[in-house]
Amino acid sequence: MMWVKLTFGGYGRRFVEALAAAIVLAATSATVAASLMVVAGARNTLTRAIHQDRPDVVEVKSRFNRALFETPRSGYLPPLTIPVYEPLIDPAELGTATGDSQVVRRQSLFRNVVNGDSFLNMYVFGIDPDVERGLSSFSLARGRFLRREDRAVAVLDQASARSLGVDIGGTFPVRKADGTDLQLTVVGILDRLELRGAPPRSAEAPSLRPDSTFVSSGAFVNIQTSEDIFGRETLTDALVIARSTSDVPALVAKLQEAFRLEPGIFITERYSQYQRKVRDFALTLTLFSAMSIATLLLAGSFAANLLHDIYVERRRQYATLLALGFPPAMGIAPAVIFGLALGLAAVAIGGLAASAFVPRTFAMPSLMADLGPTEPTIDWVVVCSMVAIAIAAVSVGLASTTVQLLRGPVAATLSEASP
Amino acid sequence: MTPAFISLRSVSKTYRSDHATVGALREVSLEIEKGGFVRLSGPSGSGKTTLLNIVAGLDRPDQGEVFVSGIDVGRLSGSRASKYRAEQVGMVFQSYNLIPQLTALENVLLPMIALGRANQGRARELLDLVGLADRSDHNPSQLSGGEQQRVAVARALANDPALVLADEPTGNLDDQSAQRVMGLLTRVVREHGKTLLLVTHERDLQTAQTSLELRGGVLMSAPE
Repeated sequence: MMWVKLTFGGYGRRFVEALAAAIVLAATSATVAASLMVVAGARNTLTRAIHQDRPDVVEVKSRFNRALFETPRSGYLPPLTIPVYEPLIDPAELGTATGDSQVVRRQSLFRNVVNGDSFLNMYVFGIDPDVERGLSSFSLARGRFLRREDRAVAVLDQASARSLGVDIGGTFPVRKADGTDLQLTVVGILDRLELRGAPPRSAEAPSLRPDSTFVSSGAFVNIQTSEDIFGRETLTDALVIARSTSDVPALVAKLQEAFRLEPGIFITERYSQYQRKVRDFALTLTLFSAMSIATLLLAGSFAANLLHDIYVERRRQYATLLALGFPPAMGIAPAVIFGLALGLAAVAIGGLAASAFVPRTFAMPSLMADLGPTEPTIDWVVVCSMVAIAIAAVSVGLASTTVQLLRGPVAATLSEASP
Repeated sequence: MTPAFISLRSVSKTYRSDHATVGALREVSLEIEKGGFVRLSGPSGSGKTTLLNIVAGLDRPDQGEVFVSGIDVGRLSGSRASKYRAEQVGMVFQSYNLIPQLTALENVLLPMIALGRANQGRARELLDLVGLADRSDHNPSQLSGGEQQRVAVARALANDPALVLADEPTGNLDDQSAQRVMGLLTRVVREHGKTLLLVTHERDLQTAQTSLELRGGVLMSAPE
């Protein structure tokens, strides 16, 4: 109780100044917190963009072309032409162009599957199971995922499995290029999947996400099995992972050079868009950091000055403690604790105000054209910055008093007239 | 021959400002025996308070040596000087220097807290000794100047120090209060066997064993 009185009691009219310092600090903190929250949100958006867009991945895709597919035998509808990828990419040529960059090969096929009385359009994806899982996400509901050494086995999504009426261990036929059927055995059922660089949905087929414009379902087989079905080794599409993001332009140039004679192969990258997002983030960071620093220098120094005045008035009291035999750290402790309590309370209020009033989404089109809207967020950087503001303001306010008390003779402070 | 309790050897102290250099103490040497009562007088600016502060370890001499109870006070670090003051020295200031937000009792407890042995019973005894037992819960602002200085005397005795340093303890008091405080201080110090170094302007103080005078930082013979 005595320490509480010693630390927080007896401020008299200086209490108003302490209150003013706290309000200024709270307002400063709110402004800085709001700015840093926007920066944190922008950083999250950029991080999400890196994770989702994968600017280090270059897509190599064959052209989308129409192919003839059957319609149900029992109906009256004529065969349909459905757009699918053409298998134009030579894996050897691709390997030469990409060097030691990792290549995720794919054969994205479309097949009619007739199983008993049912007729189904189905996307069949030939993939490298191990490398594909590094880019796409597969969530198994039952069974297991594909293995490199598998032959004639498939993993289906739940919607396709239900439509085909098969489960783990069941089989269904897929028509091969030579006109015979290959019986695929189901070894796993997926309840969720995110296929990176998925083809557009061009036909009615069972789907885990019916509203998606991209394929979100199908039968997944390993690439050897898809070659058996397809009857050729050429790929419909491939994803090339650059060793680093900065290698992307050179990789794209090599791929364009390698496939310059094949107009049906398209090379796309998201690196340029990512760079624009990085530039947007840098501008956002610069603008809001500058705003934070300016606020901090103007308002923070004002708050520190108010604290300085309060401390000067209490200086003689702290010196009395030292004269009575308190160790230097203990003698100055009430000043430090008072300042930190005031500063931290102020920044806590400022931080809460910022988190309450800052917009849920923030967009400044002229600044964030490519980055898009961000969600201002409180993270550890924001919290630590707030605490640093409190400590900085208190330290600046307390500096001269501390130096005088701990470095100069106590007698000089004791003989000071009260301001 | 036993060494003196307080020993100053050729102590000098100079204060420098932008405009001037003031020699506060010049080659001051003196010895005070344990249990002695020394009155130090002199005109304003003669170096009395500086000498007291140097003995208390609140200031350092530029030259010379200061020993109190065998401790080289002039060379103590900040924390050791604090410990020395807490254990060996009780101080009474002209302007009392009570902590205004604490009660009289809490003010007396402060030096004990500095040593980590707060004892409310002893603090009350000391307030009783200075005749303020019934004012222990009062804040300094609720006490008269004389009462505040009596609290300061009780505070100076809190850790039972061997040395009491009093810097013009009656300087801010009316005659009646001054007499009472001075009487109390000398009585208590004598009864408890303390060494007292008292800075005062009062020339008619007869109770001191030794009277010293400082003029321009130089220690003169006892004033007549």
